[in-house]
Amino acid sequence: MISQDCNEYIISPEEKILVTGANGFIGSRVVRTLLSYGFKRVRCFTRPTSRSGSLEDIVKKFNRAGIEIIKGNLLSREDCRIAAEGVSIIYHLAAGIDKSFPGCFLNSVVTTRNILDAAIEKQTLKRFVNVSSLAVYSNEEIPRGGLLDETCTVDTKLVERYDPYAYGKAKQDQVVVDYAAKGLPYVIVRPGVVYGPGKTSIPGRVGIDTFGIFLHLGGLNTLPLSYIENCAEAIVLAGIKKGVGSEVLNIVDDDLPTSGEFLHQYKINVRKFKSINVSYRLFYIFSYLWENYAKWSKGQLPSAFNRKRCTVYWKGNQYSNQKIKKMLGWEPRVKMEEGLRRYFEYCRKLEKNHA
Amino acid sequence: MLKIGIIGCGKIADLHAEQIRWIPGCEIVGVCDQEELMAKQLYERFRVKKYFTDPRELFKAEKPDVVHITTPAQSHFELGKLCLEAGASVYMEKPFTLNFKEAQALIDLAVEKKLKITAGHNVQFSNVARRMRRLVQNGYLGGFPVHMESIYGYDLGDRSYATALLGDKRHWIRSLPGKLAHNIISHGVCRIAEFLNCDNPKVIAQSFTSQFLRNLGETDIKDEIRAVIMDQNGATAYFTFTSQVRPIIHQFRIYGPRNSLIVDDDHQILIREKGTKYKSYLDHFIPPFVYAKQLAGNGAYNIKKFLKRDFHMSSGMRNLIELFYQSVRYDDPLPISYKEIIITTRIMDAIFG
Repeated sequence: MISQDCNEYIISPEEKILVTGANGFIGSRVVRTLLSYGFKRVRCFTRPTSRSGSLEDIVKKFNRAGIEIIKGNLLSREDCRIAAEGVSIIYHLAAGIDKSFPGCFLNSVVTTRNILDAAIEKQTLKRFVNVSSLAVYSNEEIPRGGLLDETCTVDTKLVERYDPYAYGKAKQDQVVVDYAAKGLPYVIVRPGVVYGPGKTSIPGRVGIDTFGIFLHLGGLNTLPLSYIENCAEAIVLAGIKKGVGSEVLNIVDDDLPTSGEFLHQYKINVRKFKSINVSYRLFYIFSYLWENYAKWSKGQLPSAFNRKRCTVYWKGNQYSNQKIKKMLGWEPRVKMEEGLRRYFEYCRKLEKNHA
Repeated sequence: MLKIGIIGCGKIADLHAEQIRWIPGCEIVGVCDQEELMAKQLYERFRVKKYFTDPRELFKAEKPDVVHITTPAQSHFELGKLCLEAGASVYMEKPFTLNFKEAQALIDLAVEKKLKITAGHNVQFSNVARRMRRLVQNGYLGGFPVHMESIYGYDLGDRSYATALLGDKRHWIRSLPGKLAHNIISHGVCRIAEFLNCDNPKVIAQSFTSQFLRNLGETDIKDEIRAVIMDQNGATAYFTFTSQVRPIIHQFRIYGPRNSLIVDDDHQILIREKGTKYKSYLDHFIPPFVYAKQLAGNGAYNIKKFLKRDFHMSSGMRNLIELFYQSVRYDDPLPISYKEIIITTRIMDAIFG
């Protein structure tokens, strides 16, 4: 058990906590962290399609009878009522990961509205932790290499960016803020790129392999990484710490590597493959041409590459974790070097198994 | 300006709105979904005039000329009736209705109201399908079709749809008479229906659950269908729906008394099978080159269409919508005959019955 002063928390270890998306990459670590902190009654909400193997492992490991696993659909208001019954904190991690705008919207926004309605109806909620994403910010007004933090504006042109996931997340955040007017106590957390064992793909901010060869687009940009365990702990603290209300907190680790460093290490530690360095300016021109072709051809190609997307993901910014450290007293326990070592080791083993 | 409404603002509605925005002379005047948030997101993204949660309000406020119904099939009949009674022609997403009875009633109502209705059999209007139709209309087969084969593959691994369905015992697809297949097979069945020369063909069908699904503990969903279809004039057809054949293919073969055609929807390839017979070994040497030439020709044709901005991924839907709007505007013939819609529904009834 991680020793913490319970007087700093808004709930006691006996109070009920709901985690939606509890079987996901981050969700399962949030559950594990909550149990490590000594919370005894954690309700895990998962999709009916979700295999709850990793959750069952956690239940076995912690040997706690107070862990509940509920399978359901957040699109069902009845399921939401059952899930929200008697809970003091909700960690809302379930999200739409569809490729389409309506798919992401339905599974991020409508589901959030449903769980919020249920929570408000039950009147036991002390805090709602909405897990959003760093991808919702706009960096148009920030120069290359400038600081992107919680004071930056949320992008309002996510449709033009052709980014259904970020669109769903931004709209989800808006629903949460709207519910604050109905008395919802909330915190919005926006993790950067969460990595660690369990994730296999190279982050899109590093580059893409859409055209058959890996295009390294990140160059010397800083990568907003957060190691899974660090991120999960930050999310947990955002829910339980006293004195945090109606706040937005970005989650990134310390000692962030550049995209080039990450790719170099990946090639050394996981597998070697060919990549081409493409400068931001060159890819910006390509995105401009693609965007215009998409319009000119009346949608013969989707505007999947466009200037806005290029700007957000590959222009390059600096990131800060000062606010979350100050408000929650959070420190990334797993240092960047160690996090990357574990991640690369996991990827290497997976590669070997595939071979 | 043709005024368009959309009822049902989920994923498929996006595809419709995306096509409509490029069609000149029309405007989406209202979108409607009983879930207000869904209606609002479509309205915002496509800069539609208004959004509604009640179709009656849509009709009252905007009086659309055409309404696209993109809701689950269980609501198609009631919504179709509502639209026609309100004076709007209807583009109905597939499957047209739950059964023949509902399909016939909607078509009768459209005729009675002097309005139009069509089914979202958009695969019939892809570039390759239109090429095939032109050849058949020009007599390439050398007479009526003797036999047809339609194979329609489906990928159960599709994350966004099939996995959700398999895990969710309350999924709306499960309450369709034919469950998963009911929502899919009309694309494959209508290809046969187009060329059948009767109203009520004979159908012998066998449906079963694949071993793959049985291993997952799924027994309700039939993901393999084999059907033999025959019209009163003796034209026959085989229809196959499969989730297990790899690669996943969508093909249609139509055999005439003189020549035959093969349509490969996945690669947009049309192959002419000529009845020409070469002497002796030449029959083994010449045809491979003839096929190679045809395949190269298909590739060149597709590239040419792409360069001319006429090779959209959803070109079938765009073409069908354009033709349907023309039919509504100028009283042109319908792109899909009512007979074809009825036969498709009857065959599906027989398969699921």
